[in-house]
Amino acid sequence: MSTLSQNPRGIRQISTFFANYSLLIVFALMCATFAIATPTFLSPSNLFNVLVNNVVLLAIVALGLTIVISSGGIDLSVGVSVDLASMVFVMLLAAGHSGLVAVGAGLGAAILVGLLNAVLITRLKISPFLATLGVLFIGQSTQQLATNGGQPIYLITGTPAHQFDLIARSSFLSVPTPVYVLAACAVVVYLLLHRSVFGRQVVALGVQPGVARYSGIRVGRQLSWVYVAGALLAGVTGILLSSTVKSYVPLSGNAFLLDAIGATFIGTTLSSERRPTVLGTLLGVLMLAAMKNGLLLVGWNFYWQQVGIGVLVFVVLAASFALRRGAH
Amino acid sequence: MTTVHSTYSQDEAALEAAPPRVTRRKAIGALAIRLGAVAAFAAILIYLAIAAPGFTLPGNLINIVEQSAILGVMAFGMSMVIIGGGSNVTEGGIDLSIAANMGVCAAVYAKLLMLGYSDAPALGATLMVGIAIGALNAYAVVGLGILPLLATLAVMNIAAGIELTVTQNTVLSVSSRFLDFLSTSSAFGISALAGSLILASIIMIALVHFTSFGLRLYAVGGHPEAARAAGISASRYVMFTYMFSGLCAAISSVLMVSRLSSSTPGSGEMLLSVLAAALLGTVFSRRFVPTIGGTLLSVLFIGCLANGFQLLNVSSYWVNGVQGALILLVVATTSFARKPESGQ
Repeated sequence: MSTLSQNPRGIRQISTFFANYSLLIVFALMCATFAIATPTFLSPSNLFNVLVNNVVLLAIVALGLTIVISSGGIDLSVGVSVDLASMVFVMLLAAGHSGLVAVGAGLGAAILVGLLNAVLITRLKISPFLATLGVLFIGQSTQQLATNGGQPIYLITGTPAHQFDLIARSSFLSVPTPVYVLAACAVVVYLLLHRSVFGRQVVALGVQPGVARYSGIRVGRQLSWVYVAGALLAGVTGILLSSTVKSYVPLSGNAFLLDAIGATFIGTTLSSERRPTVLGTLLGVLMLAAMKNGLLLVGWNFYWQQVGIGVLVFVVLAASFALRRGAH
Repeated sequence: MTTVHSTYSQDEAALEAAPPRVTRRKAIGALAIRLGAVAAFAAILIYLAIAAPGFTLPGNLINIVEQSAILGVMAFGMSMVIIGGGSNVTEGGIDLSIAANMGVCAAVYAKLLMLGYSDAPALGATLMVGIAIGALNAYAVVGLGILPLLATLAVMNIAAGIELTVTQNTVLSVSSRFLDFLSTSSAFGISALAGSLILASIIMIALVHFTSFGLRLYAVGGHPEAARAAGISASRYVMFTYMFSGLCAAISSVLMVSRLSSSTPGSGEMLLSVLAAALLGTVFSRRFVPTIGGTLLSVLFIGCLANGFQLLNVSSYWVNGVQGALILLVVATTSFARKPESGQ
């Protein structure tokens, strides 16, 4: 009551509005700035390029993390899932197996990583942060041992390269296949997380683990699915990644980890309860990608781009958290 | 639904019916696990002492301490943040920017020396940069109320970018009288680098475990509301921990520049080792909270492992994997010991 008198309802509503939509506002301002600074930013070919090269891969990893973070956990080993899927996929193609077998085995490798996480977290009761940190270390060693210390495997020519092209460079209605893969993943994760019993239970686990347990949710089983799903999506990314660059470069998946965490948490500013959502995550990824591309077009070098992205994430978080405080 | 409820009430009834035996068994179990973790560490060290040639030579042991100094000082900073912020990993205290901060400090220090500044101003500026980045974290976490995990993640990106712009992603080789002193001088057979880890440990243990400041810090991390009700300005303590961790990053950067005679890109990769050291150290404490002694032990243990592997001629590719497996092993056993307590 006392806050009401100090902070009239109208102002409070306005600041709640800005708190919830600060992400959209910053995104719009950013795009407007880039559009004015460089005419090429809004050109269809550039936007298309951003979508295919910067958004798709990161977005699929981030969708997986959205599920995991919704359940109150974290998966630091997404990079390992990306890498192992890519490694198995490329090695099998190099050994002359068919594309279908290679894709299946690659996804299988990612699922194994997810299962390992699930066992560590649900059976051995290790906190998600430490369990996935341990898996990250082990996964890095595994790759170094399997590739003689990190030798990349290139398959630029021949039949395997053709298989890659079938995945990464084909298109339907002049939209490249990877974009369809992302769309399919986004729809599935949306239905799973926001429109299914499973999703409600996962979110309940994230909000109130104790209450969720007492109300009869099978915590261990649902959490296992969560980590397997996260790893599987990372595995999809791994296969798209190695198809795009026609090679497997050890330890390259870790580059996704922090961006994906950043995108997911930037996305949480869009929901009034500060929960991860599919839409928010996709917007977060779009924002990071647009920022990278815009700074590149404006002519900032790679080093300053990194500073710029850090500042941007900081500003969005600061605006959202500070306004939220003002609203209460 | 009903079956779930009934099993839980039965469990609770069983707990109430036999409290003394259960608690004693719990206490013994926790003790066994804690000693088990220590025993596992000891067993590995004994194995290395027997199997690895030259492992126990004084020169090698000092070498291990020297190698651990850089990681150790940062792990102290991280422990401080976790103590003050609480050990809930997603919402508690954590400083993901510490390794990137160290990189910035090393770059600034090397750059200033290259530009011809003498040691004193360069050192002063380096420490100021470290503390300033820590202060940015502190403002974001306490002032703006952003989750530490996110705030320090954003600052980490900023710091990594700044390091790259300062160094242009190259190695900056430098030398100065102070760096020479750190890397070559020694007293009583202990080099200055090893000495600085020992000195830092003594100061940290005194500060965290033998002052009222340390006690209040644990109170703030353990139960912020209770600490606030007891009249402690919790936010000020939390702010201090982030600035302190920035200071630790700066000190550790000076140690690194002296050890390598240069600032080298890629220091951000140390983050995971710092986290592993700080979190692994919790198994040495009775309540599984971070302690300075525990952090020091796990840092030295990680150092022994890397060094022993080298002496045993095991490929360095194994080190990460074994480190990861050990984290899982130790934490799995301790979480079994902790489970009955947290179930209450």
